[in-house]
Amino acid sequence: RVSSDGKPPKFQPPPKPIIIDRKTQKEERRFLSPEFIPPRGRTDPLKYYIERKDMIQRRKVFSIPEFYVGSVLAVTTADPYASDKSKRFVGICIQRGGKGLGATFVLRNVIEDQGVEICYELYSPRIQAIEVLKLEKRLDENLMYLRDALPEYSTFDVNMKPVPRMEHEEIPVNKLQVRMKPKPWSKRWERPKYNIKGIKFELPEHKMKAAQKWSQPWLEFDMLREYDTSKIEAKIRKELSEELEK
Amino acid sequence: MMPIWTKSGEKHPVTLLKVQDCHVLRYVSKEESGGKTAKLLVGGKNVSPFSKPESAHEIFKEAGVPRKQKVTTFNVTDDAIIKPGTPLYAAHFRPGQFVDVTAKTIGKGFQGVMKRWGFKGQPASHGQTKTHRRPGAISTNQAAKVYRGKKMPGKMGNIYRTSFGLKVWRINTKHDIIYVNGSVPGHTNCLVKVRDSKLPTYKDCNKNPPFPTFFADGDEELPEDLFDEEIFQFTDPSVTFA
Repeated sequence: RVSSDGKPPKFQPPPKPIIIDRKTQKEERRFLSPEFIPPRGRTDPLKYYIERKDMIQRRKVFSIPEFYVGSVLAVTTADPYASDKSKRFVGICIQRGGKGLGATFVLRNVIEDQGVEICYELYSPRIQAIEVLKLEKRLDENLMYLRDALPEYSTFDVNMKPVPRMEHEEIPVNKLQVRMKPKPWSKRWERPKYNIKGIKFELPEHKMKAAQKWSQPWLEFDMLREYDTSKIEAKIRKELSEELEK
Repeated sequence: MMPIWTKSGEKHPVTLLKVQDCHVLRYVSKEESGGKTAKLLVGGKNVSPFSKPESAHEIFKEAGVPRKQKVTTFNVTDDAIIKPGTPLYAAHFRPGQFVDVTAKTIGKGFQGVMKRWGFKGQPASHGQTKTHRRPGAISTNQAAKVYRGKKMPGKMGNIYRTSFGLKVWRINTKHDIIYVNGSVPGHTNCLVKVRDSKLPTYKDCNKNPPFPTFFADGDEELPEDLFDEEIFQFTDPSVTFA
C-alpha cells in the first residue's frame, strides 16, 4: 500500500483467523425425530423418560435414518407367510404420526394402477431395514391429498436406486404443486384448515373465495394453543447425544 | 400406555403403574375383623399431613409413616403377615404373573340413558316429536310398578371397578414400575389397587413369587429391569422368521 508520508506503512496485524466450529454447527442442525417430543398433557414426565430409554435402546441396535414427510423410503419387514420370509415396500412418506414407541409412518405407492398405503411402526421389531432412497421435504407436513391427486404423483419405481446426497447439505424442499383429479375429493383440501400449499388448485375463483368462509384467523393468535418446544427439545437432544455416544 | 412387542412380532398395549411410597400400616387379625382371613391395611402415595385432623393421623403414627392419600385392605393368609411399617415395592410382583387392578372409573357426571346404559334411543327423523334419546317404556302394564334397579339416567362413573386377569409383562425395580397388559380403569395418575388375580385359571401361575413380599434390605439383588420370557427386548436384533 502506498502511504501518505513516504515512510514504510504502519504495521497492520494479520486478520484474526475465523474459526468455524463444525461440531457446534453440526449439533444445531442435527435432526430430532418428532416422536421424541412429548405431547402436552398431564402425564408424569417419568413415563416419557422411560419410553425414551427404550427408544434409544432400539436405535442403538437398529439405525432409524433421518427422513421427512415427502421422502421416498424402502422398508423391509419380516413376514412369516412370504417365500423369502421378508417383504420390501417402496413408497413416499405421506404422514408421520404418534409419539414415543408407537410412532408410525405411512408410505404410499401406486403398484399396477392400484394405490397402496402401508402404515409402519418405527420401533416394531419386525422391521429389518429402512433405507432412504430420496431425502427431501415438501411444502406440507401431511401429504394425504396425494390420494386425490393424479396417480403419476404417487408412483415410484420399486427398483429405484438411492439418490446420492452429500452430508451437511441442506435438505432440499421440493416445491412441486400437484394437479388433482376432478372433484369430489376425500377431503375438501381447498379449505383453509388444511393449509395446503402443495396443490395447484384449478378451481374457479368463486369456489376458492367460498372456501375462505371457513377460515379461522383468530386461531393464530390463540395463546393457549402455543406449545413452545425449544427448551424441551434442547434437553432431549442433549440426552440423546449423551446416550448414543455410550 | 405404551406398546410392547413379543418375540413373534405381535404388539400388545401395556399400562404403566408406579408403586409410590407404599407401606403396610396395620395388621388386623381374623377374629378382630370378623372375616375369614386376616387383613393388612396398606397405604399409598404420600400426602401433606396438614389437611386432616390429628385424630386421623393415629394409624400413620403407629406405623411410623407419613400420611398416605389412600388406605386399602388386603385379605391375607396367616403365613403372609408383614410387620406394619415395611415398605412395599414393585418387585413384589414378577413378570408372567396375573393381576387384578381396581380403581375409581373416570367420572362422567349426570348422563342420559343412551350413554350410561347403551340404550338405542329413537330415530332422528320420520315424525319423532321431541324424542330422540329417551328411554321409552319403563315397565309393563301387568307389573303396575317400576322395578327396583330400573336402568335410568343418573351419575355415571367415579365408582370402583376391577379389570381381572391382566398379565404382568415387565417390572422396573429402579423406578418401581409395573407393566400390566391392556387397559386399567381410572384416569392418568389416579390411585390404583393391584392384587394377585383371583380368577380360577390363574390360581397356579405364580411359580416362585417373593413371599411374603420383596424386602429391599434383603440379600437378593435384582437387575434394573425384569422381563417376561416372551417379550422382545430392544437389545436383541430385529425379529426374523426362519
